[in-house]
Amino acid sequence: MKKILIVDDDPDLQEGQKVFLEGQGYEVLTAGGAGEGLEVLKREIPNLILVDLMMEHYDAGFVFCAKVRENPDLADVPIIMQTGARDKLGFTPESYDEKARSWMKADQILTKPVPLEDLLKTIQQYLVG
Amino acid sequence: MEETLRVLVVDDEEGMREGMRRVLERNSYQVDLAENGEEAIKLLKANSYDLALIDLKMPGIDGFEVTRYINESLGRQTVIVIVSALATVEAAMEVTRQGAFDFLVKPFVPKDLKQVVDRAVRQRRLILEREKYLTELASERNLSRQLINSMHEGVIVLNINREPVLMNPKAESFLSVRYHPLLTLKELSLSEEIQKNIAEILDSESPRDEVKIRWEQMGERMLEVRVNPYLRDGENAGAIVILDDVTRQWQVEQDKIRFISMVAHELKSPIAAIINYINIILTGMFDNQVEKIHEMMERSKIRGEALLDLIRDLLFLNQSDAGKVEKSIERLELKTILRDQLEFFQTQADRSGITLTLETADGEYPVRMDRKDLDRIYMNLISNGIKYNRERGKLTLVMQQDDASVVVKVCDTGIGMSEEEMKGLFEEFYRVKNPHTSGIPGTGLGLATVKRIIGEYNGSIQVDSELGKGSTFTVTVPRA
Repeated sequence: MKKILIVDDDPDLQEGQKVFLEGQGYEVLTAGGAGEGLEVLKREIPNLILVDLMMEHYDAGFVFCAKVRENPDLADVPIIMQTGARDKLGFTPESYDEKARSWMKADQILTKPVPLEDLLKTIQQYLVG
Repeated sequence: MEETLRVLVVDDEEGMREGMRRVLERNSYQVDLAENGEEAIKLLKANSYDLALIDLKMPGIDGFEVTRYINESLGRQTVIVIVSALATVEAAMEVTRQGAFDFLVKPFVPKDLKQVVDRAVRQRRLILEREKYLTELASERNLSRQLINSMHEGVIVLNINREPVLMNPKAESFLSVRYHPLLTLKELSLSEEIQKNIAEILDSESPRDEVKIRWEQMGERMLEVRVNPYLRDGENAGAIVILDDVTRQWQVEQDKIRFISMVAHELKSPIAAIINYINIILTGMFDNQVEKIHEMMERSKIRGEALLDLIRDLLFLNQSDAGKVEKSIERLELKTILRDQLEFFQTQADRSGITLTLETADGEYPVRMDRKDLDRIYMNLISNGIKYNRERGKLTLVMQQDDASVVVKVCDTGIGMSEEEMKGLFEEFYRVKNPHTSGIPGTGLGLATVKRIIGEYNGSIQVDSELGKGSTFTVTVPRA
C-alpha cells in the first residue's frame, strides 16, 4: 500500500483529505506543521508528501521542502504543495516551470481548495504502478 | 507730491554759476554750486544728484573728466548736460560719447536753460522709473525663489533641453545631489519611468495641463513624483518635477494590503475546509457510515460558526476604525460585570471540567466605560482562558485596585506560551500555532481587539506565560 504524508495546520483539511485518500486505498500519515512533519519523516519514508505553504510561518512549506530534499533518503519523494496564497506570491500555473520547481523544491503546486478529483489525479500521476 | 530734484552746477565763472542758480531755484530745484572739477567730484561723492550742468572748459579737472567720473563711478545715475562755449561738432560728439545727455551753448538766455533742463529732467524720471521697476523685479524674483526654497516638496525645473535649471534644497536632499549649473538630468539618477515621463511631457505635440504621477522608492523614502509641463505662452518651455515625501501614506497602504491579504487567507481557510468535507460526503464513499458523515458535518458547522465570528470581528474593527461605534460611557461596577460574564461561560467551562473563580475584596471597583466594550474585553479573555486551558483546569479572575486604577488578572492553567509564541500576540490575525492549538477555533482578532479597546480608555494589557503551566493576562484601566 502506498503511503502519503499530509502536512497541514488546518486540522479539518488534514482530516478530510486523510479520510478521502484512505478511502482511495492509500495509507495516510498526518502532521499539523512543518516541524511535526519533519519529525514524522525521521521514522517513516512515504511515497508522496502533500504539504501546505502557510503554517507556522508564511513560508513554512518552502522551508519544509528544502529540509526534506537535504535528506538523501527523501530526495526522490514527490512533494505536492497546496496553498491558498498562490496568487498573492505571484505564482501562476504557467510560471510554475522547471526553474521555479528547482528553487521551491516542490514537484507540483495546487491551489486550495483542491477539488478531490484533481488531488487524486495529481497523486496518481506521481504514484503510477 | 513731487519730490524736489537736486541739481549740481559746475562752472568756473561766478556770474554764470549764480545766473543758473537763480533760474533753477525759481523753477523749484535744489541747487549746489561747484567752481571747479575737484569741488564737483567732492560734492558728487557726498550727495546724489538728479542733474549736473557741467562747464566743459575749466582749469584742473575739466568737464570731460567730471562727466567720465559720473558715468564710470556713479553708474550713470546723474543726467549730464554740458554747458560750453566750445560749440564745435567735435566737442559735442565727444561728450555725448562720454555719456552726456545734452549740450547747452554759451551764451544762453534763461528760456534755453529751462528747456534743456526740462528735457534732462524727463530723462531722469525715466531712469528713476526703470530703476524702480528693476528693483521690484529683483525682489520679486528673490521672493519666489525664497518661497520655492522653503517648500516642503522638492522642486526641479528642467528646460526644453532636459537640463536642470533650478533645484530647491528639498529636492537636493531627496535625491542626494547638489545643484550646479552644469548638472545633467542623468546625474539626478531618476528612474527610467520618470525619465520617460519627462520625455513624454517635453516631446508632447500639444502641451496640455497633463501631469504624470508616479510613486518611487528612494532609499528609505517613498516619493510621489509629479511631472508637470512648464508652459510659456502656450508653448512647451520645459518640465517641473515635484517630489513629495509620501512614506507615511505608503506604509499605511502597505499595512492595508497586508491586512486584506491576511483577511482573505483567514476567510478562505474555513471555506476550504467546509467545501472539502462536502466534496468527500458527495463522493458517496461514506454513504454506509452515517457517523463518519455526521462527524464531518459537525466539524463543518464549527468552522462555519468560526467564520461568522471572524466576519463579526472584522465588521467591528472596521466600524471602530471608521469611528462609527458610538460609545455610551457610564459608571459601571466591574465586579458585577465579571460575575455575570463568569455565569455566562459556566456551561462551556463545565464541558471541560474547568473551575471558574472570582477573587475579589469587599467594596466597589468602579470604572467609567462603555458596557459593550467592557463585555467584549472580558468575553474574549475568559473565552480564551477556557479554550486554551487543560481538562479540569482552573480559570481565576483576580481583582485589585488602588486610587488610580482597577486591575483584573485573568489566570488560566492551560497550555501556556513560549517567549517566541508571545511575540505578536496582540497583532491582528496572530495565532499561536502548535499541535495543542491546531483544533481550537479562533479568529486571530480577539486579543488585537481587546488591546485596541483598552487603549481607547488609556488602559493597558500585559501577558505573562509559562509553557505548559498557563497564562495570565493583566488588564489595567483607570478607576472611576
